[in-house]
Amino acid sequence: MTEILTSPVGLTHYLVVGAVMFVSGVVCMATKRNALGVLMGIELVLNGANLNFVAFGSNFLERNPTYQLGLDGQIISLFVIVLAAAEAAVALAIVLNFYNNHLTVDVDRADELRG
Amino acid sequence: MNYEQLVQSVIGDTASSLEKFLPELVICGTILLMLLSRLFKLTRQMIPSWLLAGAGVACAFAIAEPWKFLSAGATLERTEIFTGMLVHDAFTVYFRAVLLFTTLLFIMLARISRLADQENGPDFYTLVLGAALGMCLMAEANHLLIVFLAVEMASLPSYTLAGILKGNRQSSEASMKYAVYGAGAAGVMLYGTSLIAGITGSAHLPTIAWRLAEGMGTDYQLVLVLSGLMMLVGLAFKLSAVPFHFWCPDVFEGASAEVAGFLSVASKAAALALLVRLTIGFAVPPANEPIPFAAGEVAAPASLASEVLNQSQASRRPVAHVRSVADSVDAQNKPAEMIRVSQIRTFLSWVIGVLAAVTCTFGNLAAYGQTNIKRLLAYSTIAHAGYMMMPIAAGLAIMTENPVAASEAFAALLLYVLIYVFMNMGAFGIIAFIRNAVGGEQISDYAGLVRSSPGWVVCFSAILFSLIGLPPLAGFMGKLVIFASLVDAGMYWLLFIGGVNTAISLFYYLKVVRVMTFDPGPEDRSPPRLRLVSVPGVFTMLMTAPILLLIIQWNGLYQWAETACRTVLGN
Repeated sequence: MTEILTSPVGLTHYLVVGAVMFVSGVVCMATKRNALGVLMGIELVLNGANLNFVAFGSNFLERNPTYQLGLDGQIISLFVIVLAAAEAAVALAIVLNFYNNHLTVDVDRADELRG
Repeated sequence: MNYEQLVQSVIGDTASSLEKFLPELVICGTILLMLLSRLFKLTRQMIPSWLLAGAGVACAFAIAEPWKFLSAGATLERTEIFTGMLVHDAFTVYFRAVLLFTTLLFIMLARISRLADQENGPDFYTLVLGAALGMCLMAEANHLLIVFLAVEMASLPSYTLAGILKGNRQSSEASMKYAVYGAGAAGVMLYGTSLIAGITGSAHLPTIAWRLAEGMGTDYQLVLVLSGLMMLVGLAFKLSAVPFHFWCPDVFEGASAEVAGFLSVASKAAALALLVRLTIGFAVPPANEPIPFAAGEVAAPASLASEVLNQSQASRRPVAHVRSVADSVDAQNKPAEMIRVSQIRTFLSWVIGVLAAVTCTFGNLAAYGQTNIKRLLAYSTIAHAGYMMMPIAAGLAIMTENPVAASEAFAALLLYVLIYVFMNMGAFGIIAFIRNAVGGEQISDYAGLVRSSPGWVVCFSAILFSLIGLPPLAGFMGKLVIFASLVDAGMYWLLFIGGVNTAISLFYYLKVVRVMTFDPGPEDRSPPRLRLVSVPGVFTMLMTAPILLLIIQWNGLYQWAETACRTVLGN
């Protein structure tokens, strides 16, 4: 375990940061009452996965030179950035529609439809 | 390979791929035309948006030509287009046809029930076409990037369609719940995708299968299992399978009935196609190592191909022409690879089987307490998603011993999806028309309908009996082929659960029939007089007729499904 803290920065470090971002995004999505906070959690999750893709696709952090994700990882992360932006746009429009009808962005107040 | 050769081969590959991608291109063109037509007053008034959307979808359906590619003697070999991102085979043609047909039915239904008026029309139909495009891509995905992109492309317009009724409180709440849950599930799926792509070193599905069979993941088995489960989280969300089903009743209740019908049919069909592509993508590795595109692939133009292939090792066969399981790892005696491959197949079969069993049981049990007809049908949709996942589990379990039985299991799924289109679009269409006449969507609003509109009650009852699975209706045939595939695979526990669930589901569907026929109508308002000889009535009869008549000549459809699945195991 302590090898992570003492060794030079390698693939593992990037993956750990990606995992921390993913977990904080999931906790944010699960616990926030403000709908915009939930959307921020979604962005954190998507960017944690992005960090994974970039780390696996990097030539400087290689584990096995023959079988590298290579450019695929970086292209995938570019597409995911675009997609996260599109999703944020749609989700914000939906939250605005919700606000227009309910006059609040508190997700706990969205309880008229029985769960 | 130098830069100029790479550019030439990409140009050649794109040109040859665009021919096979033509139906989706027609949909893209229709979206552009619709967005442009709302800019100019002349076109906005002269061309109704539903006509443009319907014409575009019909044109794409005609170009997809399912009758040519799916008939008994047709041979459509599996080709990978766009440098391996998408795969074009008979399975693609079948699902394109089903999805475009469902979209056409939905456009007709929305026009008849006046869901989108003149002002909102272009926006509404653009969203519908965008969702249809994403769903078609889900059915032909061959690369993990396309898996994620297609799921999002199909989901984002669906979030908006669920909330399309602007002043409606329930509609806005439904779309917000759908958007938040959906985005979360997609994010978890993306994280699982990143781990699988990183461990196997590729995002191209046949390459991943080959490398997993060669043993690249043996040091990381726990991580692979976890990331596979994370990917299944995203798919289970789209399928409304049980731990991730909670969006389904709320969204169906809040959204309008037509949109709920479209979501329940089209997005489920696309999600099932994607599940088949992913499981076969991971579990059926090709015989030889797939060559990545930049090293020289078969899609390059002829003059370049020979030169390039002579430079690379000519003994390597490109993965594009794998035609059947006989060409894959199974046929060549590679025992070590076969052990790993059968481990993957067993794992996937067990997870999907357990998920299917829990889903259909929960859906059937939870439907009992419902008083809103759309929530009832939402739980019915959840249960049917469970039934539809069973043949996938059966096919995976039997693939190693008997590939023919596995492809028959997938054919059972395809046939049931088509029958399900008619059943659910009919049911939600009837709900929409009755809502327009009566104004309510509670089951008690349907009381005494038989006295004033007997024809409609007959049609709705036929659809409900078909959803239960009673002979001689079409739903019975669908369930029969699915249970037959379970018997072939020897998964008797799943067969028992499916049979018990069919018996359990009898009562809540019959409750609706009883309310319509036996209960006295409410005294405070006059009974709605819905006539069968009217445009909504014709639509209803069009949906009910196949359910009643399919028992007479269903061999044609089953032949299509079988042809579609014959090449799918060559993934």
